[in-house]
Amino acid sequence: MIEMRPAPEVAVLQTRPTLLLCRTLSFIRGPMFHQLDLMRVVFKQTRLGKAAFFFFKSPPRTMLGLRSLAQTPQLLIQRCCRQLHTTAANLANTVPHPKWTASSLRTGLIARKRGMTAMWDDNGARVPITVLQLENCQVTANIVTLRPDRSEYHAVQIGASDRPSRTTTAQMKGHFRKARVPPKYVVREFPVTPDAHIPVGTTLSAVHFVPGQYVDVTANSIGKGFQGVMKRWNFRGLRASHGVSVSHRSAGATGAHQDPGRVWPGKKMAGRLGGKRITMQNLTVMRVDTDLDLIFVKGAVPGADDAHVLVRDAKKRLVTLAQAHQAVGAYEKVLPKGVDDLPFPAGTKEMAQHLPTVIEARSKRVTSPFVPRE
Amino acid sequence: MNSRLFKLVTRLASSKAGSVEYPFSKNALLPVPLAVPSDRADALRKGRGLMYFLQQNLPEPKKRQWLQTLFSRQHPQRLLPGSVLTVTLEHAPGVFSGVLMSVRRRGPDTSFVLRNVVQRTGVEMQFFVNSPHLKDIRVIQRAGGGPGKEGRRQRRAKLFFLRDSPSKMTAISAGLRG
Repeated sequence: MIEMRPAPEVAVLQTRPTLLLCRTLSFIRGPMFHQLDLMRVVFKQTRLGKAAFFFFKSPPRTMLGLRSLAQTPQLLIQRCCRQLHTTAANLANTVPHPKWTASSLRTGLIARKRGMTAMWDDNGARVPITVLQLENCQVTANIVTLRPDRSEYHAVQIGASDRPSRTTTAQMKGHFRKARVPPKYVVREFPVTPDAHIPVGTTLSAVHFVPGQYVDVTANSIGKGFQGVMKRWNFRGLRASHGVSVSHRSAGATGAHQDPGRVWPGKKMAGRLGGKRITMQNLTVMRVDTDLDLIFVKGAVPGADDAHVLVRDAKKRLVTLAQAHQAVGAYEKVLPKGVDDLPFPAGTKEMAQHLPTVIEARSKRVTSPFVPRE
Repeated sequence: MNSRLFKLVTRLASSKAGSVEYPFSKNALLPVPLAVPSDRADALRKGRGLMYFLQQNLPEPKKRQWLQTLFSRQHPQRLLPGSVLTVTLEHAPGVFSGVLMSVRRRGPDTSFVLRNVVQRTGVEMQFFVNSPHLKDIRVIQRAGGGPGKEGRRQRRAKLFFLRDSPSKMTAISAGLRG
């Protein structure tokens, strides 16, 4: 659980090299974002020493800025103070629309698994589909921390599924009040690159994912309870007859003889199966519906119906492939086939209003599987 | 070439009025949005009744009609196992006739199996109702219809026993050759 401490209005400076300097960061305002909030930067207390917590609501004082500039790590200045805007009035389209690059990592979303069905692609091939629905998925915080080795950790914290205020703890109520969002059942954070932060309070939409792209879906798998080795580890068991007594589904032997004279740690045995965090990788997004905030994903997804799932850009088939192709110069292969661009930093409700209601992916195949090849 | 032209035309025709583009994927399809009733919109956005709504509204109107009449559980016009059907397809073999052996009802994923004997070889084909390749279903002979052996209602939902008894197959599908 991240410690949230509301910072004092007045900055407290220390001259020690472990000092963390925080500035108000207002982010790029393209035509996409209409919120005029300034981003709050939340700092975790590091192990190295006391850090000063800052929270600027007003423009930073020049003297303070100059003095603190002299003490801050260069990296932090370059990255975080790149765009320094005081009020929304000054922004006014001076900075261009942020674009997705191969080296950026966007946030994910929290969705609900609603069930499975089937659809047919444009070639007429049947595709099994899992329906995921967004339930008021909003950004509750942007997180920037310095690790002990002075590298930065950036993350976007997302909340989903509104919760009655009377069942929310006072601590969480305060957290949601700061973000100016209704209380949520589920709050998770997604590591991102520094350019992918989103204004707090933004409502995200299904349009965040592009039909044709690959996603990783993470959820807690269905618990199966205490299960035997045949179900848990795919053991073959013993014969059904020919003298086998009472041990048709057992594991059989569990080791060798006097050497090693024990059972190896980690020996596959019966035990609790399921109820663990599982990620299904590289699932294709087949269809996106902004009216009901639905994401149709090809294949199966862990968890029961109505469970919360985390949906992110596929680590293997999108993120790392994009980086690799970009490094080599194969710019056509950077994004998957059929995908030309990704909404960046995120697909929001405002963006969804200007886009078609339903978008469907074409088949990845060039030819129809029903037409025999010559 | 013709099918590609057809696909291009349907893509342009099915895009939203007012030429709303989707900049993130040039060749994405833009199908017609689902008709969400205003009184149920809030409940559907919370997920209540969502899967049932999708099952009713995802199929096209013609297929929806089939699912609600021919392949429903209670409709008086539903197809009973033992009926003889002819199915027209877009891919090979084009036309297939056979005895309806089983109906697997899963909403948009509903499918049925027809069995026939073609050149002394038993052939079964499974057809998905919602598939774009399934063009037409014609009922040659309804089970539970006329008198006599051919029209008698089958006492099973799945007629897999027909695989072992060719005589019963002949009895049921006698009407096809006539």
